[in-house]
Amino acid sequence: VTWDILCNNLSAGLFLVGGLAELLAPTVFAPLAKALYPTALIFLLIDLALLTIDLGDPWRFHHMLRQLNLRSPMSVGVWSLTAFSLSATLAAVLSVFTGDDTTMQTLRQVVVGVGLVPGLASLVYKGVLFSTTAQPIWKEARWLGAFLTASAMGLGCWALLLIAMFMQQPDALPILRRALILLTALSLVAFGLVALNVRHEIQRLRGRRRLIRFAVGDAAVSMVVPLMCLLIPGDGFLLLGMAPALLGNVTLRSLIVEAPRLAGEIE
Amino acid sequence: MTTMTRFLVHLLYPFLRTPLPQLRTPTGFFTDTSVCIGCKACEVACKAWNELPADALHITGHSYDNTGTLSAESWRHVKFIEQFEPPVSPFERGAEGEGERVPLDVLPLSPEPGRWLMMSDVCKHCVSAPCHQACPTGAIIQTEFTNIFIQPDICNGCAYCVAACPFGVVTRSACDGHAHKCTLCYDRQQHGLVPACAKACPTQSIQFGPIDDLRQRARERVARLHQQGVTAAHLYGDVETDGYSALTSFYLLLDRPAVYGLPEAPHDPYRRMAGDYLRSIAGGLISLVALGLLIWSMRP
Repeated sequence: VTWDILCNNLSAGLFLVGGLAELLAPTVFAPLAKALYPTALIFLLIDLALLTIDLGDPWRFHHMLRQLNLRSPMSVGVWSLTAFSLSATLAAVLSVFTGDDTTMQTLRQVVVGVGLVPGLASLVYKGVLFSTTAQPIWKEARWLGAFLTASAMGLGCWALLLIAMFMQQPDALPILRRALILLTALSLVAFGLVALNVRHEIQRLRGRRRLIRFAVGDAAVSMVVPLMCLLIPGDGFLLLGMAPALLGNVTLRSLIVEAPRLAGEIE
Repeated sequence: MTTMTRFLVHLLYPFLRTPLPQLRTPTGFFTDTSVCIGCKACEVACKAWNELPADALHITGHSYDNTGTLSAESWRHVKFIEQFEPPVSPFERGAEGEGERVPLDVLPLSPEPGRWLMMSDVCKHCVSAPCHQACPTGAIIQTEFTNIFIQPDICNGCAYCVAACPFGVVTRSACDGHAHKCTLCYDRQQHGLVPACAKACPTQSIQFGPIDDLRQRARERVARLHQQGVTAAHLYGDVETDGYSALTSFYLLLDRPAVYGLPEAPHDPYRRMAGDYLRSIAGGLISLVALGLLIWSMRP
């Protein structure tokens, strides 16, 4: 489940940040499209595979499409991902085969513009999927959806930064650095709000010290250290901040997934 | 049938719909724990009728109960709650007064007087059931008797109902990967029969019938128990609370719900869903707008 959340966040986060950047500053970001959209699609395909494998009966995956149940975040998520996968596939295909054809580029931008809505929806549902349950800690985490959404965009921004570096697009780096500072700060605020939501629940845990240590450590590694690296000028620090950001985001998502099991040790 | 036909049937079958049956009188269970003797006949009857696999019986170390908990293979479970003071050895008692002699006719580790509480637990068939709302496939339905039923041929084992249930009733089977729980003997009810567990109960601890009759009967039973001095007797789940709907399978308890392993104040997770969506969308939109403004201001 941890890897599923990570791939979902990377895919939709990259698509949203990259798509918005391409629409608003095409001269800087359009050259990245050839790598951006296929990468988002690859992460999406991994995510869909993980979601299917996680089912008790993977051969019945298509039963999810029997109905759209707006009261079920999982149903909303399935349909959002279905709509997003259409946009992501089309955008990836168009980005690979368009070349310098301006008409096709415009068509791709239209597809990306339309795809922003299901892209955002497939991020938004994830946190609500957890908070709308009866499981300890998750059920109190009212801001979890907001945190995961902001954090996913941060992850997408890191991925876009890496693509810009590989594709030698130096004009994109200062914009993405500022964007990362902004998104990491927003994630940090949302994380603080989640911590406030669950503080009473955590106080009841026998292993609360260990849990708090993990959470603070993960937040520091995934957000505070990268934020400090981003504030220091120089591309070296950009790369230095990327490793803890990715590692911390994996462990933080693992902590979120494991929280109810850890809460099983309630006093 | 060729492989291709089988594949097409597999693909299309879940999308076929049959006409909805006409609504019938809502039915349910009233479990009166004050008369439960812990015989587990209900568990056996449930397993026999529904052809559920046997449990791996073992002593949990917490009580004499050896069937553990409700699960995808055990849709009824009789809880044994032992309310005894921890036994104190007469030798330990004697240690307070140094040199005190212990008479030989005193049984070592003899328990203090206490009581057993027995409770036959089952799916609560909530009037507004979180599992029903959580189900993305539509496998979980409310039957014409307003009971909650999982269609085993539709469930794909996503397990979201497992996370949604505040009572920990629904579980996913390790055998077939699908979620299972009490059906309130939907098949028996369709043919005018009483559910197997209620039929087998020798003390009428499990009562089945029209839900309004059961609620009335339960209130009268509580009043009678209060007259007899059992003032702790109360109903659990008979009426809707601030945080949760009424239960179609409700209980008469002799102690706090937590003693029976029931949540004191169950909360319907869906009552907070709209707010959670709103916060999540706000988080996304704020991030996107701020990002858009930043990129726009820095574009060449």
